[in-house]
Amino acid sequence: MRSPLKKHKWLVVILNLIIPTWGIATEISVTIPLDLDQPTYSVPWKRYSQWAQNDWSNYSHLRQEIARPVSFIQHVETPIKGNPDKGKKLIADRKKGNCAACHLLPAEKLPGNVGINISTIGTWQRTDEYLFNYIYDPRIYNPSTIMPPWGAHEVLTKAEIQDIVAYFKTLTQPVEFTDPLENPDKRPIPVEDRNNLDEMENPAMFAVKLGEKLYNQPGSMGKSCHDCHDNPQQTFVTWAVRMPKVEPRLNKVIGVEEFVTRHARATTGAEYLAQTEENLALAIYLRYLANGQVISIDKNDDNTRIALRRGEKLMDRKIGQLNLACNDCHHTSANKWLRGQYLGDFVGMLDHFPTYRTSRTEIWDIRKRFQWCNVSVRANELPPDAPEYGDLELYLTAANNGRTLSVPGIRH
Amino acid sequence: MSNETNTRLQAKFNEGVTEVKALIKHPMETGQTKDLETGKLIPAHFIEEIRCEYNDEVVMSAQWGVGISANPYLAFQFEGGKIGDKVKLTWKDNQGQTETTVTEIIPK
Repeated sequence: MRSPLKKHKWLVVILNLIIPTWGIATEISVTIPLDLDQPTYSVPWKRYSQWAQNDWSNYSHLRQEIARPVSFIQHVETPIKGNPDKGKKLIADRKKGNCAACHLLPAEKLPGNVGINISTIGTWQRTDEYLFNYIYDPRIYNPSTIMPPWGAHEVLTKAEIQDIVAYFKTLTQPVEFTDPLENPDKRPIPVEDRNNLDEMENPAMFAVKLGEKLYNQPGSMGKSCHDCHDNPQQTFVTWAVRMPKVEPRLNKVIGVEEFVTRHARATTGAEYLAQTEENLALAIYLRYLANGQVISIDKNDDNTRIALRRGEKLMDRKIGQLNLACNDCHHTSANKWLRGQYLGDFVGMLDHFPTYRTSRTEIWDIRKRFQWCNVSVRANELPPDAPEYGDLELYLTAANNGRTLSVPGIRH
Repeated sequence: MSNETNTRLQAKFNEGVTEVKALIKHPMETGQTKDLETGKLIPAHFIEEIRCEYNDEVVMSAQWGVGISANPYLAFQFEGGKIGDKVKLTWKDNQGQTETTVTEIIPK
């Protein structure tokens, strides 16, 4: 049977125009006690000691755009007198050109396929000036490119670009693969087959036990989580799949981790700073209670929609020395290879965080994953409770609506 | 009983053989990793000795070093065992920290 509301959709639209709807149901209620004064990390924010400490403040990050216009065409003396042997080294150097990460090039192990196959670029009849400037700042010729402006952003010097051009001019033979694993178009897609919730397989399952213990442990005010929420299995059965949410008092989106820090401060007195073992353990435990439920971010109120729009915009924000946006890698280039690394689509990424990372032997929440992405494109990261990360987390979680929660995850 | 803080222990009996599995939460620092903030080496911290006992008899013992991964997983089998009996796993690391975990043998 058709609902009368559906039948008279136009009437609903008109009524909505006359009587505005007050969509606050999906926000965090102002009656929930939260500490609203302090950040959730110790000030000032300091990058993790195991991460490269480079300062990228000369380049845009998610909070601030640092204006760097597209370059003019650079004059270069032709024919270019670079050293092709030096160029060959530069294209494989991760600190320098690293062309083989995205492009198919001869004699390189595990080349990527984010960019085009340039193994015969020497036969393409491109002028030296064009090749030089395309590497210096590809946006001169292609405004929608995702290729970093290697010269304009000071990754490569002009002399180094000349060496690479000299090497490119020697490339005439298409690459032939004897091993199909080497061919990025044939390489099998990596599949995660470890069981998230296997206690003997996933070290993050220790966090579930710790989270449960902390839940029952009184804080400095003499109360524990359990004193108010005495049946967590029932109370939190769907709570985590509706997070993150707009927090109107803080004027930003907050996730489970930030909620834990702020709510505990205001109720039990316990201090669970962001990224500490305790904070992650409680965040994992609260999500663990909602495992098996589908992610269901409610988009039906105005503030959530505003935050989602902000998140959508941030996905396209070019940041860092490499001038990459989230969408450049995880949408435009999704399901392609960045050298040996497979770039996943962001649908399917949010259902298992916080996750144990075998490559780092640490548990990471989604905010730390964002920070890692930022530093990887050589942009300064923001503190974990940054409003920008909140918008992104909301946008990405909503994109994962309908997927089943399975926390803690275990991934590479 | 098993305290389950840093060690997860499981023992299952089937056809005269007991299979023991353990997952231990431990950093297993090699002493070769640099703290990128201070530039100093992170001191070595790894499990040196691990031993499993059944009925006060050692059924498995091993000496570990820095080649073992962080959060190591260990599995082995021994002949014998009985459902309901206890299996005890003890490890000791180079900083003197030690932990003993006991679990009951269950049917497979």
